[in-house]
Amino acid sequence: MSTSTAVTAIFPTFEQVCQGFAGQIGMLREMAPKPTLADDVRVERAIDTLIAETNAGEAVWLESCIHCGQCTTACHFFQATGEAKYAPMRKMELYRRIYQREIGPFRWWFKLITSPVKLKDLEALQELVYDSCSECGRCTMVCPMGIDTASLVHHLRSALVAAELVPPELAALTAEQKHRGTIFGASSDALLKIVDTIRDHYGVAIPLDKPSAEVMVLSSAVDLVANGNGLLATARIMNHLGVDWTICSDGFESANFGLLSGDMALWRQQSASITAAAQRIGAKTLVIAECGHAYPALRWNPMVAGGALPFEMVYMSEYLGRQAKAGRLNLTPIEGKITYHDPCKTGRRGGAFEQPRAVLQAMNADYVELPSGREYNWCCGGGAGIFLLERATRLRDESFKIKINQVNATGATTVVVSCASCRLNFEAGRIKNHWDKQVASLVELVADHLIDPPAPAATASQPGVPA
Amino acid sequence: MTLLEFARGPAIHWALIILVAGTIWRLLGVLALTRGADLSRPRDAFGNYKGYRTVFSRAWPSGEFNVATRYQTVVAYVFHFATLIVVVGITAHIEFIQSLTGTSWPALPNAAGVAVGIVALVSLFALIMRRVTKPSIYCSNRGDYITWVLVAAPLITGLMAFAHLGPRYETMLAIHILSVALLFIWFPFSKLMHSIWFVFSRAQSGLTYAHKGVQI
Repeated sequence: MSTSTAVTAIFPTFEQVCQGFAGQIGMLREMAPKPTLADDVRVERAIDTLIAETNAGEAVWLESCIHCGQCTTACHFFQATGEAKYAPMRKMELYRRIYQREIGPFRWWFKLITSPVKLKDLEALQELVYDSCSECGRCTMVCPMGIDTASLVHHLRSALVAAELVPPELAALTAEQKHRGTIFGASSDALLKIVDTIRDHYGVAIPLDKPSAEVMVLSSAVDLVANGNGLLATARIMNHLGVDWTICSDGFESANFGLLSGDMALWRQQSASITAAAQRIGAKTLVIAECGHAYPALRWNPMVAGGALPFEMVYMSEYLGRQAKAGRLNLTPIEGKITYHDPCKTGRRGGAFEQPRAVLQAMNADYVELPSGREYNWCCGGGAGIFLLERATRLRDESFKIKINQVNATGATTVVVSCASCRLNFEAGRIKNHWDKQVASLVELVADHLIDPPAPAATASQPGVPA
Repeated sequence: MTLLEFARGPAIHWALIILVAGTIWRLLGVLALTRGADLSRPRDAFGNYKGYRTVFSRAWPSGEFNVATRYQTVVAYVFHFATLIVVVGITAHIEFIQSLTGTSWPALPNAAGVAVGIVALVSLFALIMRRVTKPSIYCSNRGDYITWVLVAAPLITGLMAFAHLGPRYETMLAIHILSVALLFIWFPFSKLMHSIWFVFSRAQSGLTYAHKGVQI
């Protein structure tokens, strides 16, 4: 079951994937559900959502801001545009007003001196919390009060879900995942089809729906409907490791549009289908595909009692890093100077810093850190669903220039990412700017550098790799 | 009752009562709210406690933001320390604190007190100049300006009283004390409460990130 390197590639290149996605995203806008509720009901639901989601932690953050302006130095959207409305602190002004009027200790006073929230206030908020905030958390790193604006923005997104004010692209995908369980039509049939294609064409087996397995691996819609190379690479690595692994057709989707849009019910529902499948097959390890927000959606899901689950959840880069450190990945050296972009959701807001670097080290990479790297890394500008929003194109394009400068400063020829969303955004930025860098996915890079044993070795029955 | 007697008597006493009661009310009103539960498993079993370091570490911006934040940070530090020294270091203030608490300590020489007061005032002007000239960075609201005026007023009136400028001394002193009373009354309702919130806010974020194994 080792792969032949002489097989003709049938999956599109990532540049083609990226261009294909642009067309698909265009169709989403037509498919978005229209608001159904009366204006006052939508406002009321938004306010009720914020009341329900505001705890002492959020209140302390809302109370603490002194308008010192330092967050503006950290925000890629503000730095790229210099426009006042994109200042991180401004994103919570409306939240603060609702908090002060409804929950705060002086609410009787603020009800007298502030005006009630109207639908147009919420409509204006949409651009601030979807288009111009990737919830990257960089502003928290500079705030003298340590305010976590990204968390507050997430609550505001929940409020806009309640007010039926999710941007059309995200609304369409949220509705699709909620009602049909798919994203971009990536159903279990699509999974079956690509598994067959990979087996028939590349001779790489993907153990689908095994009744029990040590390691359960997730995939994502990006791989299923566009970038077959992602799933192929994953399968080659898992087979190389010889672990007892499977993909479950009733719980394979990493992407979670509940988290991205702010729909808490969908977030919970989507996570539950995956954790249920992992428990059913007795998995010890759940490997989350290279899909940045899927990491907080599952591993850091506050609604999932992780400690009580019989398995652990790790991101693909974490899993690969562990295998690399344990010497289980037999890899050829990598050419050229390499740098690594920490996706916000797995880096600053996830803590998976060391493992992807260990993988690159295992390939003897001529590795160089980004200036302002690790916890201080600049967001690529496409996170938290922004890559999908046509309206945010200018913001994405302008902020990506920061990324270009940051990578150029390293002198690296290749920038490695470990997040489909970052990768799509990097690729789009690379094409638009005729940027002379290569953008690589960690998992595909590893697969390309595997030294497979000469004979078919992966029998898929060896004991699983301990955590 | 003269203006000075009013200022030294009911005005400052009621202002202190509002300061203390209002601060306690606002603190309790927030801290009594529900606690959000994060059921996810922390990266390290006891790693969350490392989050409390942020309360102290955030006292100075990280090297990453040194250049961008230098002006604001340095001037703000000068203002805070100079103001604190003036508040607790001048003979008249120590006498007032002694009348309330019974404790006292040696005062700064008058010239030093005046010098530090001027430093505090100049730094306060340096801060407002930047706020006014860079509106997109500060997103200032009415509260920001009211707070600035109410903080500047005691510094200005105090220096004037000391230097015997303006109206006769007793009137100037009364105006100074009344300006302090206004500041006390404003404190619990304004961003001045950041002098207390910063501990909770930094701790909250420190814990949130430490849960994921990230030191912020």
